[in-house]
Amino acid sequence: MALVEARRLTKVFRRPDKPPGLAGSLRHLVSRKYVEKVAVDGVDLSIEAGEAVAYVGPNGAGKSTTVKLLSGILEPTSGEVRIDGMVPQRERMAVAHRIGVLFGQRTQLWWDLPVADSLAVLRDLYGVDRATYEKRLKRFDDVLGTGELMAVTGRKLSLGQRMRADLAAALIHGPDVVYLDEPTIGLDLAVKDRVREFFRDLRDEGTTVMLTSHDLADIEGFCKRLVIIDEGRLVFDGDLEAVKDEFARERILHVSTEQRVASDVVRDALPGAVVTAGETPLWHTIRFDRFALTAGQAVAAVSGVATVVDFRIDEPGIEDVIRRVYSGDLLLTSDSAL
Amino acid sequence: MLRVIRLYFRFLGLHLRALLEYQSDFWVMAVATVLMQVVNLVFLSAVFAKVPALNGWSFWAVVAMFAMMAIAEGVGSFFFEGTWRLSIAINEGTLDYALVRPYPVVLQVTSMEVGINGLTNIVTGGAMLVVALSRVDVAWSALTVLLAVVLLLGAVFIKVAINLATNSISFWLSGPSPMFAMAVHQVGELARFPLSIYPLALKATLGFVVPFAFISTFPISFLMDAGSTPWLGLLTPLVAVYCVAVALVVFSRGLRRYESAGN
Repeated sequence: MALVEARRLTKVFRRPDKPPGLAGSLRHLVSRKYVEKVAVDGVDLSIEAGEAVAYVGPNGAGKSTTVKLLSGILEPTSGEVRIDGMVPQRERMAVAHRIGVLFGQRTQLWWDLPVADSLAVLRDLYGVDRATYEKRLKRFDDVLGTGELMAVTGRKLSLGQRMRADLAAALIHGPDVVYLDEPTIGLDLAVKDRVREFFRDLRDEGTTVMLTSHDLADIEGFCKRLVIIDEGRLVFDGDLEAVKDEFARERILHVSTEQRVASDVVRDALPGAVVTAGETPLWHTIRFDRFALTAGQAVAAVSGVATVVDFRIDEPGIEDVIRRVYSGDLLLTSDSAL
Repeated sequence: MLRVIRLYFRFLGLHLRALLEYQSDFWVMAVATVLMQVVNLVFLSAVFAKVPALNGWSFWAVVAMFAMMAIAEGVGSFFFEGTWRLSIAINEGTLDYALVRPYPVVLQVTSMEVGINGLTNIVTGGAMLVVALSRVDVAWSALTVLLAVVLLLGAVFIKVAINLATNSISFWLSGPSPMFAMAVHQVGELARFPLSIYPLALKATLGFVVPFAFISTFPISFLMDAGSTPWLGLLTPLVAVYCVAVALVVFSRGLRRYESAGN
């Protein structure tokens, strides 16, 4: 059995259906109407020990709800979750020692206390012995630079500082399953890099990590496995690299020429590629399949009709693939190998 | 168990420390609660200046009942004030982290805040109780002292449990303020006076439906061996166990309805 198992996991929220305005609210008092919103719809997921999984989806797709179901915060409407065989909603105490949860939007630090005190409370709460605690603190300081934050009161932390301190708080008990929900949201690039490096360390140590993020740069170079959720349903569960090979085949060549050349002329020189006018009359944008044509061939073909002055190539990342999945013009089928 | 209690005081200590940062607030609160008890006593003496007894209860007997209520409320706010923050926590979805920590969720909730006014209520209530009990007719012995302590503890837990149960209703109502619990608390204020002065419907409500009378009238009635049913006071510990059990069930049922926020 996998370390984290979700079977037919479903969460339905019931929301009051209020007409707008005060009049609407008053009417709602008399005749109550509700709408049901299926936030998570029959999700099957199993994560093996030591796996790093990226969990992505557009806003409101059900990512956070899934994390809250998997950590026992929400009661599923139907279906069930097991962490190492235990149901987190029923065996809260035992599961709590095994999991670490970070919600990027929300802190678990005590507002009025210095970070050091918050961490010390968590240490006692989880029963972490002093030596292990000191060792972990040192590591958080090495990678996240949390040492300088220890004396700062919770409410005085900047967003980046808060996230680093919160990461330390979420991991102080050395959990073997970690859920990171939007852990880089609102951070500047330098902090993001630091945090991402920390995630890679965590993964390399064998911690099971499930990372949800909007920022797909978080997942590139971190996860092997990609799970995409949309409107509460899993639309893809498979290998990240395979997806890139399969769907991120397109390359975009931007090329500028010395003289103005009509797009049609370039198009004729490059059968199989899509040529459109570039940002200025001297530029052309050429889209091609990297397996049908190499970038060198494309540039050479343009050189055949005009003198090439400058060019650059855009290589689409996983972002583009996922964006296309969101917008509905790409339907991934789940990788059966997993 | 010991670990749970130790940590509980640790949590309270954190909030107390934060509270004491604002010293002036502390003194304003302290003076205000003492003043409230003084007003209560003035009111009572004014009443008793006109009538020698209230349905057979002397001034000091009623002061003892007031004192019991003050102590129960004091313990409720000093040690369990977080209970009153439950509705806002549910509304804002801030219980998430409490649910993934290895500590009873209910105790994380009740220790979310310290009500400093509770401390003065405990002190003034305690003083009132000692003075009142020395003025009324109680056949004191080692056993009655022990029983008095047990009844007091029972009374305190009844108040705390009623607070918890009524505040847990917020899981179903999901508004941002504990209006239901406030309303019940207001009704409970009536139980400061001997239950016998009320009509039957109120007697049934305060004695049975929401057993506030077990905080004040019944234990004092038992200690003084006065009133129509003094033996009822002896049931206080049982009623306390029952109330705590009901409150915990309501809380944990409610917790399953917790929806967090941001969906």
